Amino acid sequence: MTVKVGIPRALLFHEYHLLWISFFEELGAQVIISEKTNKNIIGEGIKNTVDEACIPVKLFHGHVLNIKDKVDYLFIPRINSIFKNEHICPKFCGLPEMIKNSINDLPTIIDTEINFVKSKNSLKNTIYEIGKYFSNDYKQIMSAYDKAYLKFKNSKRIIKENPFSEVNMLNNKKIMIMGHPYNLYDPYINMDSIDKIKSMGAYVLTPEMIEDQYIFDYAKKFDGRLYWTFARKLVGTALYLIDKKNIDGIIYVSTFGCGVDSVVADIVEKLIRRKSDIPFMLVTLDEHSGEAGINTRIEAFIDMVKWRDISENNISAHG
Amino acid sequence: MKKCYLGVDVGSVSTNVVVMDSDENIVDTLYIRTQGKPIQAVKDGLKEIESRLDKDVEILGLGTTGSGRQLASVMLGADVVKNEITAHGIAALKCVPDVNTIIEIGGQDSKIILLRNGIIHDFAMNTVCAAGTGSFLDRQAERLNIPIQEFGSLALKSKAPVRIAGRCAVFAESDMIHKQQLGHNEEDIINGLCEALVRNYLNNLGKGKDIRAPIIFQGGVSANEGIKRAFEKILEQEIIVPKYADVMGAIGACLLAKDEVSKTGKTNFLGLDVAASDFSVKSFECENCPNMCEVVEFYRDDELVARWGDKCGRWSDVKVLSKEKLA
Repeated sequence: MTVKVGIPRALLFHEYHLLWISFFEELGAQVIISEKTNKNIIGEGIKNTVDEACIPVKLFHGHVLNIKDKVDYLFIPRINSIFKNEHICPKFCGLPEMIKNSINDLPTIIDTEINFVKSKNSLKNTIYEIGKYFSNDYKQIMSAYDKAYLKFKNSKRIIKENPFSEVNMLNNKKIMIMGHPYNLYDPYINMDSIDKIKSMGAYVLTPEMIEDQYIFDYAKKFDGRLYWTFARKLVGTALYLIDKKNIDGIIYVSTFGCGVDSVVADIVEKLIRRKSDIPFMLVTLDEHSGEAGINTRIEAFIDMVKWRDISENNISAHG
Repeated sequence: MKKCYLGVDVGSVSTNVVVMDSDENIVDTLYIRTQGKPIQAVKDGLKEIESRLDKDVEILGLGTTGSGRQLASVMLGADVVKNEITAHGIAALKCVPDVNTIIEIGGQDSKIILLRNGIIHDFAMNTVCAAGTGSFLDRQAERLNIPIQEFGSLALKSKAPVRIAGRCAVFAESDMIHKQQLGHNEEDIINGLCEALVRNYLNNLGKGKDIRAPIIFQGGVSANEGIKRAFEKILEQEIIVPKYADVMGAIGACLLAKDEVSKTGKTNFLGLDVAASDFSVKSFECENCPNMCEVVEFYRDDELVARWGDKCGRWSDVKVLSKEKLA
């Protein structure tokens, strides 16, 4: 019988799903992913998580509950650092413990530590540690990873192919919606923000569409050390947009009580306001399911972006 | 026949109706409490306005705004359904054309809108928390057993400042009780609450914003002179409270409706008589997928006119489809 490995559709799944899924499949496992976030998942997540956690972590718990009884293994790596000299939100390091503490009757958890803070030399060891659950053959594990990584890289490359080109935009307003991937790509938690913006006739861009190298180079221009990987990506995105001036508005999506965003959202807002004239809005999400608040903010923001444009055209027409 | 436009602002705390003539003069305004029953409030508001209007008034168009704008639009047939920020901005520009800053404090929302050269340049709204809004003052007035209408004038009588924690309504309440037990005067405590609300507002929304004069203060809370004085004291600027400060959203909706009707040449408004219709709501939990959306069905005189609340469009599109088939 095939071994079943479960991956919760939450947190870094939204960034690395293709890598993880292909890796396990290459090793002959059947991958089971939790359903898309729904009312039941969010409800169970809130009920079964320590109170002070942020909503994305609560959602993660809900997704674990959604699949835990259907799988032999649950993939919940202890993610410490995914980049040299950079850290990740501390809640990711404690995730396996939080799950074990709050949820009973769990299958075996693959909680291998992922820590590249010193260097990526430990990568092969890490891969082997994870692969060992499914195979004893070192070579097979490594080749499975290589194949999965190629798929992952290719998909990343396709996302970045010319999203900023003029042809794509036609005459639409270009709105960057930025934030942690697990807030941007879970339409339930962000109440369909991306579709809402699109339905108002704007073209939506995300930080994932910018070349990694740009993000690196621009983040380096920031005066100070960016401790977190997320911080580098978001600050790099902001500085890139400020410099290239190829965007009509920026919406930052954050969640209530996010420690990283308490610093990063503030830095991003200050940079945009001081160094550019790009309209900016911060949207904070939490357990709320009433959509009136977010609809009003998005509508008003798009109105403002369009209104500014009309007035700028008027001014230029007069002289 | 006098030609007029109607603006309806359905907010969390108040429902406001404005009648404006085609020369953009305000004919009548109405401010009533929503009291958690927006449908009833819209009906009552419209009936009341109808009874006060001259018989020869013709309504050419309707605009709705506020968090209940979609609901009001479904009930009455709106030509324009606009968010509160744009509506407030347009109304303020009409009153004070060179306005640079709008402070708007309503029941559940507070906003700051920065305008430059007659267009909205930037805005911010309170985040997930409703601290520092009208509901906070309402709650404290209730606790002190003072009618909210007298709150502002009492604050003006204060001689000695009392500082009250303003970060959170719950913090403020415990701090206020403590100050009461110490024997401070009521008016000083009320003034302390006004200043706490203003500090909270400026910390949350005013952070990093260039608050330039002329500054307009509008929304339900602007009727409170204590808050106006606290803003003037902290910002060291003159604060303008326009004549119709409490119904500015509805005025904005009127102006937008006039604009829209002049473009389209027709109106969707169902007429003032529509207030006499019987509106009812049924809701159910859709069981077609794990989202279990709470779907609302809206009936006018037993006719299903709209459905909403579903994420997938399975229900909300039904009416549109059947209309298309009929046509």
